[in-house]
Amino acid sequence: MGESLIILAEGANQATVVNELEQTLLRVFILIIMFGLGAGLTPKDFSLAVRRPWGLIIGWVTQFGIMPFVAYILIVTVLFQFSPPQEVGLIALGALIMGSVPAGTTSNLFTYFSKGNLALSLTMTVNSTLWAFVMTPLVLFFYANLLDLGESVAIEFSELAIVILGLIVPVGLGMLVRRFSANAGAVLELVGGVFGVLFIPFLIAIWVPRNWQLLLSTEWPTYAVAIGLGLVGIFAAYGIARLIRLHPMNARTIALETGIQNGPLAIAVIVAVFIDNPRVDEILLIPALYSLFIVIISTLVTLWFRRANVAEEQKIPNLL
Amino acid sequence: MTQRPWLDHYPAGIDPVLAETTLAHVPALVRRASAEYAKTLAFTQVMANGMNGSLKYRDVDAHSDSFAAYLREVVGLKQGDRVAVQMPNALAYPIVAFGVMKAGLVLVNTNPLYTPSEMIHQFKDSGAKALVVIDMFADRLPEVLRETDIGTVVTVRISEFFPPIVAGVIRLVQKWWSKTLPRITVEHTSFRSALSAGEKHRTVAQVDAYLDGVGPDSLAALQYTGGTTGVSKGAMLSHGNLVANTLQLLQMNGEYITPGKETALTALPLYHIFAFTVNLLGFYHVGARNILIPSPRPPSNLKRAFENYKITWTTGVNTLFNALLNERWFAESPPKHLKASAAGGMALHESVANKWREVTGTPIVEGYGLTESSPVLSFNPLGGMFKDGSIGIPVPSTEIACVDEKGKEVAVGEPGELIAKGPQIMQGYWQQPDETKNTVKDGWLYTGDIAQMDSDGYFTIVDRKKDMILVSGFNVYPNDVEEQIAAVPGVLEVGVIGIADEKSGEAVRAYVVASVPAPSAESITAHCRQYLSGYKVPQSIVFVDELPKSPIGKILRRELRDSAAASSSSTKGA
Repeated sequence: MGESLIILAEGANQATVVNELEQTLLRVFILIIMFGLGAGLTPKDFSLAVRRPWGLIIGWVTQFGIMPFVAYILIVTVLFQFSPPQEVGLIALGALIMGSVPAGTTSNLFTYFSKGNLALSLTMTVNSTLWAFVMTPLVLFFYANLLDLGESVAIEFSELAIVILGLIVPVGLGMLVRRFSANAGAVLELVGGVFGVLFIPFLIAIWVPRNWQLLLSTEWPTYAVAIGLGLVGIFAAYGIARLIRLHPMNARTIALETGIQNGPLAIAVIVAVFIDNPRVDEILLIPALYSLFIVIISTLVTLWFRRANVAEEQKIPNLL
Repeated sequence: MTQRPWLDHYPAGIDPVLAETTLAHVPALVRRASAEYAKTLAFTQVMANGMNGSLKYRDVDAHSDSFAAYLREVVGLKQGDRVAVQMPNALAYPIVAFGVMKAGLVLVNTNPLYTPSEMIHQFKDSGAKALVVIDMFADRLPEVLRETDIGTVVTVRISEFFPPIVAGVIRLVQKWWSKTLPRITVEHTSFRSALSAGEKHRTVAQVDAYLDGVGPDSLAALQYTGGTTGVSKGAMLSHGNLVANTLQLLQMNGEYITPGKETALTALPLYHIFAFTVNLLGFYHVGARNILIPSPRPPSNLKRAFENYKITWTTGVNTLFNALLNERWFAESPPKHLKASAAGGMALHESVANKWREVTGTPIVEGYGLTESSPVLSFNPLGGMFKDGSIGIPVPSTEIACVDEKGKEVAVGEPGELIAKGPQIMQGYWQQPDETKNTVKDGWLYTGDIAQMDSDGYFTIVDRKKDMILVSGFNVYPNDVEEQIAAVPGVLEVGVIGIADEKSGEAVRAYVVASVPAPSAESITAHCRQYLSGYKVPQSIVFVDELPKSPIGKILRRELRDSAAASSSSTKGA
């Protein structure tokens, strides 16, 4: 945790899009969110997950297979169609990072509201968060090369891995707290959940007004990618889950889990790794837009999901 | 009565006669355990998210003294006055229940989910002078109180005795998120201020003086029952009844309980007689730590309790055990420290019992009793031979017989009405001499259950007398049919009743809650044909989303009959 804080704090003075106060708040947010995530877990959850790995495998595939791929497709078919890759390379990088980070805790909340499988959602969030240490840099490296972004943007992938690792440490600490005090664990879990939700209003209140001009001057393909990433992700995962005949409840869970990425984490990672880049605001553009729109998208999707015949489904044994 | 073959089947070292006790009343039992296990944790209340609070034995003793002093000194109640208590499982419950009894008052347990009219009936009938109620349900009081003699209302929070920050968070969630804290418009005292008011007046000697003249024959509780048959009646349970029953069931399972070392899961509501005697009194007496679950539904609410505590004992009903077995987290990671489980309240299905043993690797035994018998009459001896599907042998100092319509004992293996005699049989129904005369004759409690005894002296409940279905003159016991249907893969729950039929008088109908894909009605019928005589096979099978259940999860056949009758008359009308 200490390590990540140091890395996150480096070069903060150059930030224009995210100022120092916001960075501090962001760090606190992430810390609390991750802490809360861990506080809801026991080692038993992992052994259970390993014993019935199908949900996790599917989640893993959708998280690190589909989402980055969707980001890549959107970049190629939308973003690069209207501007030369050299100009929007950094925006594309932001989109790729957004597609490669693990699932966010907000997905647990929406899963709850859409009467999905909360236990599965939680395990998937944790699973992808832990895997992110390896998978996010790997996936990013692969697509950045494919898009030829690697040369225009020097990414220290090992640095990226360390940042993510630093963010995972609070998960372990949360588990530890839970181990010693169920009460502290439960309170942290609740607070973490609240902060996960508060992140969006926080973004709207602080970031949007100051970057109003930037938002106005942003071209529609960027918006399309930011919105499309979540939307296409959700429906692609839902389609696959239904195709392999998963229980609708689990399909809903996997859909939301896949489409809803960890926005705060993406932003924190970018701030930590690219803060020295004078054009860091361009990289942050899609993660910020994504984080704003995903709430609207998830709400609409949840409303749609809720129309499903839930009473009948509750009785389907949970195969995952 | 001449036949007592069960006497040969008590496990070695267990006396079939209840040992003499010096405990004259429930407060003496509480006092003794509180002194012996003073520093041990007595109760831990666990919320669904893992938030919890605990009380040690000495805290329970001291706080219940304070509450007794409050009721006598501040409220001014007199020995024998009734106090209604209406709350889910929470840390305040033992304080209030023990406090009421220490004050020499009579406890009237009340289901918190009662409708105002049910509350009015119970409060008026018992003549309760004070009410201790959970704040979440206090909004119904204005219409209830004006019909009753209740002069004092004490409101309890679900988070009583929790660490302050945790209690605050729970309060915030209740207020702003779940919106479960209605405005209370009647005059009331908070539990906290009642306790501190009582504390000012409290000395142990003085609290003990409240019990002057209270002995084994004094009334301890009015436990309302018969809601499933119509108007509910108050079973008069004496201090002697409750103490005897506590000791009876402990004597029966002695070797599976290590005093001061057990952790018992209390998921059934304490206002119900099963958990009241078995968990609250029984496990308290042996210095166990009771894990109180305010709301066991959905069963995932129990996950944190199983994760965070080394549960060694569970008590429950068929529905609860079945629900747990259907939870993935439970079935795949069963509690490691569990020693044994006791089932009661309703028939434990063999399929559930077997699966429970298979999954947990520990024994589960079924017992039997009624509110009118405090409640335990029989149990399968854990340390001896236990028979599935049987309610076991009578607990020490208890006699059970099966009799015919004339009250004559039937032959071994023949069905007859189960009657029982022992120190746990109630004194009668409160202010209902006629009902009492019909139910308790010569000290024998007529249970209304049809049972049979085998040659070992083990009893098996065939069914409730009034649930029996008469198909063309043949007796069909719903339990038989339910047991078979429950064994069909994909059937989660089943309730069987008789419905009026022009040809056969009554016809068997099964209500089934199934998983998806649901088994077809044909496959259920085919299964029944294989194992049941033709007249027992259901004529109709109705798939439903859920079955009506009592507070402890017993399937209410009466409600199924009512709704079947209502829908058939409405179809006729249409």
